[in-house]
Amino acid sequence: MSVKLNILLTAAVVGCALSVVNARYQSRHLLIELERLNQHARQLEIDWAQLQLDQSTLGKNERIEQIARTSLNMSPLTPARTQYLTDGAK
Amino acid sequence: MSRVERRATPRVAASKGVAFSKSPVLAVNVPSWRSRVVLFVLFAAFVALAARALWLQGVSTQFLQKQGKSRYERLVELPAARGKIMDRHGQVLASSLPVKAVAAFPKEVLKEPNDKLAELARLLEMPETELRAKLDPKKTYVYLKRQVEMDAVEKIEKLKIDGIDTRKEYKRYYPQGEVMTHLVGFTNVEDKGQEGMELFHQKALMGVPGSRRVIRDRLGHIAEDLGMFREPHHGKDLTLSVDSKLQYIAFTSVKNAVEKFNAQAGGAVVLDVETGEVLAMANYPTYNPNDRSNLTGAQLRNRVITDTFEPGSTIKPVTVALGLETKRITPDTVFDTNPGYIMVTGKRIRDTHNYGVRNVGGIIQKSSNIGVVKISQMIPPQEMWEMYTKLGYGQAPRFGFPGATAGRVRPWKSWKPIEYANMAFGHGLSVSLLQMARSYMIFARNGDIIPLSFLKVDEKPVGQQVISPKTAAQVRTMLESVVSPEGTASKAQVPGYRVGGKTGTAEKIVNGHYSRTDNIGYFVGIAPMSKPRFIIAVMIDNPRGALRTGGSVAAPTAADLAANALRAANVPPDSSITDIIIPDEPVEESL
Repeated sequence: MSVKLNILLTAAVVGCALSVVNARYQSRHLLIELERLNQHARQLEIDWAQLQLDQSTLGKNERIEQIARTSLNMSPLTPARTQYLTDGAK
Repeated sequence: MSRVERRATPRVAASKGVAFSKSPVLAVNVPSWRSRVVLFVLFAAFVALAARALWLQGVSTQFLQKQGKSRYERLVELPAARGKIMDRHGQVLASSLPVKAVAAFPKEVLKEPNDKLAELARLLEMPETELRAKLDPKKTYVYLKRQVEMDAVEKIEKLKIDGIDTRKEYKRYYPQGEVMTHLVGFTNVEDKGQEGMELFHQKALMGVPGSRRVIRDRLGHIAEDLGMFREPHHGKDLTLSVDSKLQYIAFTSVKNAVEKFNAQAGGAVVLDVETGEVLAMANYPTYNPNDRSNLTGAQLRNRVITDTFEPGSTIKPVTVALGLETKRITPDTVFDTNPGYIMVTGKRIRDTHNYGVRNVGGIIQKSSNIGVVKISQMIPPQEMWEMYTKLGYGQAPRFGFPGATAGRVRPWKSWKPIEYANMAFGHGLSVSLLQMARSYMIFARNGDIIPLSFLKVDEKPVGQQVISPKTAAQVRTMLESVVSPEGTASKAQVPGYRVGGKTGTAEKIVNGHYSRTDNIGYFVGIAPMSKPRFIIAVMIDNPRGALRTGGSVAAPTAADLAANALRAANVPPDSSITDIIIPDEPVEESL
């Protein structure tokens, strides 16, 4: 009786120990994964800031005007050649 | 030595066949306390050990635990970026990106082959001689270059030069460059605000880096997270009131005007009438905030807000408004401006022409000094001073902008009659262009004045009533008549829109005297008149061409600005007049 109980308890202890090892392993693994993703998130944030900057640089009014005037041959509109439509007017 | 030989050693008693118990040494009579002393000392030593163990394990645990932790724990720095600055539509005006500072231990670096150093110099964009000068072997650690962009840093790291060290830092980028720089400002190499909004909102924008305690494994991976040591705080993003498009329009208008009229400098500001937001604030000359190597004071100066000037004729509507408000005059009151000058305590105040007999509207339209002086003589100085104070002249500005000037209005008790007469048409007191623009709020709105804001405003501010809505409407009509072919600001007319405003010209004070040659031209206007949206103020400093007055330099600049701004803001036109008439010899206001 007592021998059987000892074997059973020993097995339980070994089982617990192994599961602890496994849990520990899993947690490290997940932590590394989390760390990697955090890093990735930071990088994406930097990329986003970079893209916002690029957007602002490329969307500069000065540049748009330059391109509109020189390569697209556009000119500023004047009220003299503008047709205004009033909402609801017949 | 062999066994046989040892047995034969005569010095040991046993070897002579004497048993241990019979050893003669035992027969020596030793006092019994001696063994007790030994026993006690041994026992005491064990007690000491046990006590020490108990002390270390149970009572004073901190020190050793700390020491233990420091041998496997690492603090990881968590960087915090400075907040972005954006315009009212979310376009980025300033943003920080991570870069690296490249530093070196000179002794180690100098051991490297020459071609590697040449390559390093090329990547750092500096001549090799300069690099070698920096690598002074007497120093242990030197910065080679700060704020090196990541691409270059990666290439430098690939060179695998011994003794090169890199440190993380941030670099601030300003995509809108010189157009926006007087408003946004800039930061120094330590990421600290130096000018403009960067300086004023330094505390909010600044990030506080945090740190985290971790355990690393052999490969440098984080094996266990022990929790946050200090939470990182990213800087807050700032949304300004400025509109990039209007700012660009204001900037180009001022820039073109400065070049066209051969002026020393220029400035313009656009305010939102409804919210008090500063939609644009442009200055020329300017500078590129991304490259500040050749910066001069003239470029850095924010003329709209830190410079004061004598407002000149732009203050006349204020004098008239007070007269109307206190019922001392009505729009139909007539004043005789003959014979083109007036004597005030022996001093002569003149108009450019003899305008004859005019009503109040005519005085504003022609910008008659005599008429305004006559109106001011009906108003006690104290009331005028109170009016100036309500409008913010000479008051510490609460604009939320560093270096904003208060202007100067002397206490009314010290005003001499001639000084008071001069003040009625804008001399003897000084204000900034922004203060002047703000005071026109009382005309553009229905008689109340609201605080200005450089940040985007969500709730409409509550105004402080200065004049009645009726007076405001009366002055508005007069201001509109100024911007007509018969007024001094005929060049401020905008096709398709009704615009009102007032010109001004002031002689600059050079070495304490009014200069005959240097002057400043202003225009402060409201557009469109049917439902005011913008207050536009323009200042052209020291035009050296043929055209020099506010009406001929500042008014057309404001017209150009207003035309583009109204169109950009999708304001429907409120006038069917599209071909404007500018007389060959427009009316000039007096100085």
